[in-house]
Amino acid sequence: MKKAMTKSVALLAVATLGLSACAGSGSDTTSPKAGESSPAMSEKASEPAKTGEKVEIQYIHRLPDGKDMTPVQKIVDKWNAEHPNIQVKPTKFDGKANELITKLQQDVQAGSAACLAQVGYGEVPELFVKGMFEDVTAEVEKYKEPFADGAVALMTVGGKAVGLPQDVGPLIYMYNTAEFEKLGIKAPTTLDEFKAAAAKAAAQGKYIAAFTPDEAGYWLSAQAAAAGAAWYKAENDQWVVAANDDKSKVVADFWQENLDKKQVLVTPRWNESFDKALTGGQLIGHFAAAWEVGFALDVLDGTPYEGQWRVAQLPDFGAGMKTGPDGGSGVAVMKGCKHKAEAMEFNAWFNTQIEDLATQGLVVATKQAPKNPEKWLRQFGKQDVQSELAKAATAMNPDFVYAPGFSSVVTPMVEAATKAGAGSAKVADIFTAAQDASVKTLKAAGLPVANG
Amino acid sequence: MAGKKRTSRQARHQAVTGWAFALPFFLLFIVVFMAPIAVSVYKAFYKLQAGGGLYGGGEPTNQFVGFQNFVDAASNPGFWTGMLHVIAFGAFQIPIMILGALALALLLDSFLIRRPGPWRLLFFLPYAVPGLIAAIMWGYMYIPEISPFAGNLPQLDGHPFFLAPSTILFSMANMTTWTFMGYNMLIFLAALQSIPHDLYEAARIDGATGWQITTKIKIPMVRGAALLAVLLSIIGTIQLFNEPTVLRSIATWIPADYTPMTLTYDTLYQLSGGHGPASATSILMALIAGVLAVVYFLAQRKVD
Repeated sequence: MKKAMTKSVALLAVATLGLSACAGSGSDTTSPKAGESSPAMSEKASEPAKTGEKVEIQYIHRLPDGKDMTPVQKIVDKWNAEHPNIQVKPTKFDGKANELITKLQQDVQAGSAACLAQVGYGEVPELFVKGMFEDVTAEVEKYKEPFADGAVALMTVGGKAVGLPQDVGPLIYMYNTAEFEKLGIKAPTTLDEFKAAAAKAAAQGKYIAAFTPDEAGYWLSAQAAAAGAAWYKAENDQWVVAANDDKSKVVADFWQENLDKKQVLVTPRWNESFDKALTGGQLIGHFAAAWEVGFALDVLDGTPYEGQWRVAQLPDFGAGMKTGPDGGSGVAVMKGCKHKAEAMEFNAWFNTQIEDLATQGLVVATKQAPKNPEKWLRQFGKQDVQSELAKAATAMNPDFVYAPGFSSVVTPMVEAATKAGAGSAKVADIFTAAQDASVKTLKAAGLPVANG
Repeated sequence: MAGKKRTSRQARHQAVTGWAFALPFFLLFIVVFMAPIAVSVYKAFYKLQAGGGLYGGGEPTNQFVGFQNFVDAASNPGFWTGMLHVIAFGAFQIPIMILGALALALLLDSFLIRRPGPWRLLFFLPYAVPGLIAAIMWGYMYIPEISPFAGNLPQLDGHPFFLAPSTILFSMANMTTWTFMGYNMLIFLAALQSIPHDLYEAARIDGATGWQITTKIKIPMVRGAALLAVLLSIIGTIQLFNEPTVLRSIATWIPADYTPMTLTYDTLYQLSGGHGPASATSILMALIAGVLAVVYFLAQRKVD
């Protein structure tokens, strides 16, 4: 009996080993055959639909669709009613940005990707390298007029346009003006003013900003951009990476000093502790991406703090009131889309429905600014937030672009930032991590890098 | 002559019937088990590579690279530190879990408990909770702001108590133990219940106490089951994935290559390479798990 047992043990062990060998390649069966370029990459000429033929376009997005917002489905319904031959089916993806990328990557390889998908500006070059987009340069040329030039440029990779911009995410500063008055401080316009105000507030147990390690990637790179940095430059057809130069050092020193003096709150942006600090009244200021305006203060509705917050420009990081891109995204045409022309027609229409999109909390990428949504007027004491955000959008450092592989840079930055927040590393280490990861990622992908 | 022909026809008939019955198994076995492994091995020799220019031209191609993916995987220091993490994890988690499972099984098999049914179900229940759900649930227990108890514990090096670098392996081990203790208990219990009861009777007539029966008869008789449980645990530990993945979202200092399995997953979504490098990493991981399992198996046999 014992022998039978050991034998079956051995068999089982072998079987389980086999399982471990195939783990991590679950999607393999759908991917392109090795040795030839993937079917997803092959130039499948998109055929315009014949007149009278009904076309269905899938559109996958991550818009919030929250309370007091015009749902995406409702906006799309308007289009569908007017265009019986181009029916659009929106799908809301409930997950993080990188999870949507994972899904799209699988779908493109399986040849079943949605025609239109929301992609972050930071991810565009990366997905282009992976061959996940259709080239829609001709269509974009036709539709780009209403959109801000800088935003259109973010949806263009090496001269090829892949879609249209939807919203931009310049960093701004938001603060509770009533609490500021009580403390006798003003919205800081320089870093020195900020540090002085932070010290004053911290003495009363209040924080005028939070250091949010989980957002470190885009959040800190945007601040570096505000300080005038250009992390990725193309010189002589090679990438020049400068993620830890003097400009980034301004940002590193600024946060290091605030952390050392314990005058900023250290908390992840996306867990309960951040909202708890807001509702508890300890956190009375925040370096926010513009798109946070749309929902960040929802937790304060019905509290004494409702309506006390205001939006201001970022303090001057030394480059003359510049700001940087923290998120923002466009709608791209994915590889394998059979109706590029129709998809782009909808894309252009949808992203110019600015009044509806503004209710989603978006800082739209069009030249024209929408009205302030009802909710914003209530939460920001009738301030004209839209014009403040539009001002920030035009102040974005135009030299700051992303190189392919930025998501692989974000991960080590977040790790380093968590340690810096806990005090076991320095803020400067975050930028060193960004530099190293950038060079490594580009090199591993076989893209030309000038650094070392 | 005629007789022989009849038997062979009958034998053939039986063989056909047998294969027909086995067919569904073999079909599924090939499609969901062998094929993915074969594809994975095949892919491990290819790499998706970008073309020229700053952005690689947007049309990457799959190229045969021989053993380069394996060399890259084996020479990646992150892979080996990940291995160290899971080995450290296994070195204290497996003994605790196996001994705990054995103790629970002995308890249920003893005369102390009259109705083992409900207890057996209760101990096994955590295993029925999907691994990811269990991991998320424990994650909530570890965040000071929402946990019923973690808020009262001190911070360690600036991190929440359960999410600090010095405690994170224990936090993961706790999650795994909670899930798999009942499962391993069931393996032991099955082995215990297949022990002929004559043995106990004979021992009792010889004057053995309950404790002696447990230590001299029951425990030696479940050695085979212990071997199985430990082997499964070793393989499971090498593949540690759910726990670090879920905890990474709340303990953001955990690197992407904390365990070999999370490294493999991360590799799959790198800018370049496609499926090849990730396949090579997972094959390497399977080989190491295999070696460890065989080493343990041989060592155990020698001891016996």
